Amino acid sequence: MSGPTEKKLSRRRFLGLSSCALATVTVGSQVKVLRALAKTGEVGEPTTLPTKDIFTSCGMCVNKCGVIARVRDGVIFKLDPNPNFVKSRAMLCARGNSGTKVVYDPDRLKYPLIRVGKRGEGKWRRASWEEALDLVAKNMNEIGEKYTRAGMMFASTEGTFQEHFFLQLAECYGSPNTLRHPSLCLSSNIQGFGATYGTNPTPDVLNADYIIMSGANRSEALITPDSIDMLKGDGGRRKLIYLDPRFTKTAAKADEWYPIKPGTDMAFILAMINVIVNEGLHARDFIKTQTVGFDQLIPHIAPYTPEWASAECDIPAADIRRIAREFAAAAPKAVYYQGRRSSFFANDTQMRRAMAILNAVIGNWDVKGGLVPNSSIKLTAHEYIAPWYDDVPMRLEDGAVAYLAEKDGSWPLFRDRVLEGKPYPVKGMMIYKQNVVSSVPNRAKTLKMMDQMDFICTIDITMSDTAWLSDVVLPEATYLERQDPLEGLGGLVPVVAFRQPCIEAMFESKPNLWIMQQIAKRLGDEVYEQFDFTIDEHIHHQVKNNPKILEDLKSKGVYLESEEPVYGKTFGKKLKTKSGKIEIYSEKYAEKGLDPLPVYQSPTAVPGGKYRLVVGRHAYFTHGTTANVSYLHDIMPTNTLWLNPVEAQRLGLKNGQMVRVKSSVGEEQLALEVTQKIRPDTVYMAHGFGVISKGLTNIYGKGGCDAALIEENTCPISGNVAMHETFVEIFPA
Amino acid sequence: MKNKRFAIVLDTRKCIDCKACTVACKAENNVPLGRDNYRNWVDQGEVRGTYPHLGQTFTPGQCMHCANAPCDHVCPTGATGVNADGIVTVEEKKCIGCKYCMTACPYNARYYNEEIEAVDKCTFCAHRVYQGRLPACVETCPTKVRVFGDLNDTCSEVSLLVAKYPHRVVKPEMGTKPYLYYII
Repeated sequence: MSGPTEKKLSRRRFLGLSSCALATVTVGSQVKVLRALAKTGEVGEPTTLPTKDIFTSCGMCVNKCGVIARVRDGVIFKLDPNPNFVKSRAMLCARGNSGTKVVYDPDRLKYPLIRVGKRGEGKWRRASWEEALDLVAKNMNEIGEKYTRAGMMFASTEGTFQEHFFLQLAECYGSPNTLRHPSLCLSSNIQGFGATYGTNPTPDVLNADYIIMSGANRSEALITPDSIDMLKGDGGRRKLIYLDPRFTKTAAKADEWYPIKPGTDMAFILAMINVIVNEGLHARDFIKTQTVGFDQLIPHIAPYTPEWASAECDIPAADIRRIAREFAAAAPKAVYYQGRRSSFFANDTQMRRAMAILNAVIGNWDVKGGLVPNSSIKLTAHEYIAPWYDDVPMRLEDGAVAYLAEKDGSWPLFRDRVLEGKPYPVKGMMIYKQNVVSSVPNRAKTLKMMDQMDFICTIDITMSDTAWLSDVVLPEATYLERQDPLEGLGGLVPVVAFRQPCIEAMFESKPNLWIMQQIAKRLGDEVYEQFDFTIDEHIHHQVKNNPKILEDLKSKGVYLESEEPVYGKTFGKKLKTKSGKIEIYSEKYAEKGLDPLPVYQSPTAVPGGKYRLVVGRHAYFTHGTTANVSYLHDIMPTNTLWLNPVEAQRLGLKNGQMVRVKSSVGEEQLALEVTQKIRPDTVYMAHGFGVISKGLTNIYGKGGCDAALIEENTCPISGNVAMHETFVEIFPA
Repeated sequence: MKNKRFAIVLDTRKCIDCKACTVACKAENNVPLGRDNYRNWVDQGEVRGTYPHLGQTFTPGQCMHCANAPCDHVCPTGATGVNADGIVTVEEKKCIGCKYCMTACPYNARYYNEEIEAVDKCTFCAHRVYQGRLPACVETCPTKVRVFGDLNDTCSEVSLLVAKYPHRVVKPEMGTKPYLYYII
């Protein structure tokens, strides 16, 4: 197998190489200049050509690591890590390094496109911005007239530092129907920890001596600095316990790995609480003064013994007991790491509540090595006044779950109501960056929903599956070509990040603010008034009270106020909970008819002849959008279905064989990867493949789509999807 | 560079096989796209043990800049050379693409670059190092697996690491004397 994994040179390939046709030089000018230099310069001592070095922030994932772009002759030659960027520990991952292949991607969107032919046929004609924008506004106005402004939905996600302009357009246009990514990701985490602590805190990984990660695959689902800090340094004491149905790269790094039965994390956690409380290992004083509801916890956890839990989660009782003791002994520098994505099971909110309670009983709140509430650096907020529309109803899925985040919504529940046409029709989609077709479970339903739309417009940088199915596609400038607003990144050590253009925007791509302004112009003065500013004015307003922020960003690529976390900010103050304290017992939930303490329920057993499908991450991809980037594509050109060898043998299937995978909502085809690295009752496939769009030329036709297979169970408290409750059958293809 | 002997020391305990080093290298050194074209790699080792007691090690690799380099011995045109500081080089204009060096290298560290019509491999980013910077792979590594430096400097981090920790090289039996030291 070739690629960056190993170097094997077969004799046949050795000969084959020499008869290859000359490949086209991809970034022509650099190679020619460097070759010329090699000819004239001393062998082995070439000099680096001078570059223009520009500070900016990466845009390839949620972390926004500081980057120095090296620009030579108007071409971005290389992206290097910014040594001043503390949060990233001065590193840049595979995706960050591949940013040049996003800018110089032959597949990137170049011009506004208007669909000709049927949706999904992929027939486009190039249009002027004038024409495309007129068409967008015309449809927005028509749909607004016909269906009220709630008839347009606005789907978007973070990352560009310009999403808030899109949300502002939605608000100024008058639609309540904004749909963002949290219901596909971490709504349950925010909800479960928020209900306990009044906020979703950050674990102080660097200073923790004992970390339990369940389902947070930090060596592949990179989050800075956690993915770096979690590894033992020289003389490090940190012990990492990792629970996952897969032997991921994190498992390879962890001190102990348990292939936990999916859906039983709560059993493990409750049993840990049981041991800690029964053996008197809990932080008594802390609990007495900082929490409420411990008295109700004691009888509640009595039945949840390690022996009971062991039968549920497949982790030996003796290990559960030992881990609980070790965890408590390391307290307060011990943390049950809640991770980010909480889209596993429909009970995720309550499971995260259990995690939060476990952390609370060992008293690791707001101290070094424990769970620390986030800090942030204040920027002056951008203000606008959205026009008022009399007839606009509540958002479409209002009331569908106990705690629906107003701006984020819940994707599957929203979609269901769109399909029903109740309580009112939604007939238009504006999409910004979010790749809904790839990211929302049950792809067939998403396609059906889009079928019902009168009008779909997508703003993106590549022909994602979502763009492919749109009526108008608008090319956004990539993150390396834009001046973006400043954005505060909250956390243990908050920073402010920004972006500057490294080159001029290529082709006719435009920054989102410009696109929003042009649409706003066409929606009427009332709307446009709120968009009448330049990006520079916007930025200067942001740093009105502290111009040093911008100075530091320009000279160092980052602004921070301290390189060390601040602990104990909440001591002596009331938390953002009803009682002002940490709520072990949740009155708030009790009042809503929800379990005030987490009650365990066994997950549905895997039916005979089927397997549970789980999803996960790789360090070289970000969600559904990057598998086509050429540097990253070379690392992993397709996805496979992981299956345990015992099961493969039972089914008579071989490694590398093409198989059909079928769930109740779809069927996909991909190659089998027989591996010990997964529980026998579970299968796994990577996200971002099996695409519909022929505009993604590297990956079209490769692999299978997980979203096409995953059923859309939902947490009734947060509206977070539950992606690990799908059972599939496997057949030879 | 005079009086220096460059080396990289690696701690594979920290390697998470994220492939950042392979992409940074490609971008820095104009390595052509394609899975056959890499100056460096990360080997995903065989899974050890039987489920559920498993282990796996990830091992980065590249040209070892051997003191006794087989590639140097076999090159018919003298395109391959070795600097005083140990960096093994390929002078593109002298390379005739015979690929004898590629078969001679026990580490499969070289590949044929169609764009420049010469064999290519890791140069320890000499163009960066000679300007006082680090090789791209070392600088980018998220988990700081790699330490680059001068073994002739007894106080350098690489010297301290090889003094303190038992270490190994790949295929010592080949007698190549490689300068990538793995402390784990």
